[in-house]
Amino acid sequence: MSKDLQMRAAINQKLIEMGERERLKELLRAKLIECGWKDQLKAHCKDVIKEKGLEHVTVEDLVAEITPKGRALVPDSVKKELLQRIRAFLAQHSTL
Amino acid sequence: MKMEAMSLSGLDNTKLEALAHDIYSDLVEDACLGLCFEVHRAVKQGYFFLDETDQDSMKDFEIVDQPGVDIFGQVYNQWKNKECVCPNCSRSIAASRFAPHLEKCLGMGRNSSRIANRRIASSNNMSKSESDQEDNDDINDNDWSYGSEKKAKKRKSDKVFLRSLKQPVLLVSLALDIGNILFYLFIYLSIS
Repeated sequence: MSKDLQMRAAINQKLIEMGERERLKELLRAKLIECGWKDQLKAHCKDVIKEKGLEHVTVEDLVAEITPKGRALVPDSVKKELLQRIRAFLAQHSTL
Repeated sequence: MKMEAMSLSGLDNTKLEALAHDIYSDLVEDACLGLCFEVHRAVKQGYFFLDETDQDSMKDFEIVDQPGVDIFGQVYNQWKNKECVCPNCSRSIAASRFAPHLEKCLGMGRNSSRIANRRIASSNNMSKSESDQEDNDDINDNDWSYGSEKKAKKRKSDKVFLRSLKQPVLLVSLALDIGNILFYLFIYLSIS
């Protein structure tokens, strides 16, 4: 069990150290903007804010409303491509 | 040691898949949080709803999506077949031909000077033989004039004549230079 966690921690560390996590983040961000996900979610934000009132919106409100919807709205092609890249990285670097 | 490593790699396929999904979820959550922070800051700084004004203005300037009309609602080939009156020669010209016509009519623009030069050069080539027979006295009396109107003076006609000859003269001088160099090279090689 702990070996598992150790391995996970080691892989995460490698991901960050090699800059791959940053690259994946940028790739994801670019793809989400391209496919309109950001605009969709922004429109949803507008509704939430109008509902809660402009002055009283907190970060927690937004996070609670936006995150589940955001996770669901990611298109399949983007998800597949990202998973592919992650798997490729793991295949290359999982031999510790 | 080896046994452990092998069992690890055997488990790893499902574990790796789960790990990949976890990493992916983390990345998506990062993206969502990023958006939340961006929106929250825009709300608190007051620029979130900046692109929305009152409903009436938004209805006025809505994007138009009809055939034959651009996105502002204007007909865009309305002036294709209209005719304009040229201020110089007072002829009525079609709109799409108006700009080139104006260029030639007013004598401005790149093409019109090229055409004028060509006309002068060709008319001087034709009248060249005539200008050779002129007296020198006659030439110095007149002021500068167009070559096509009167018999061209030798000076101006020479200038224009030389200009039309410039290209071949340059080529000939270049050929002479090369020939010169080759000649000296030949002498040098035959001596050594």
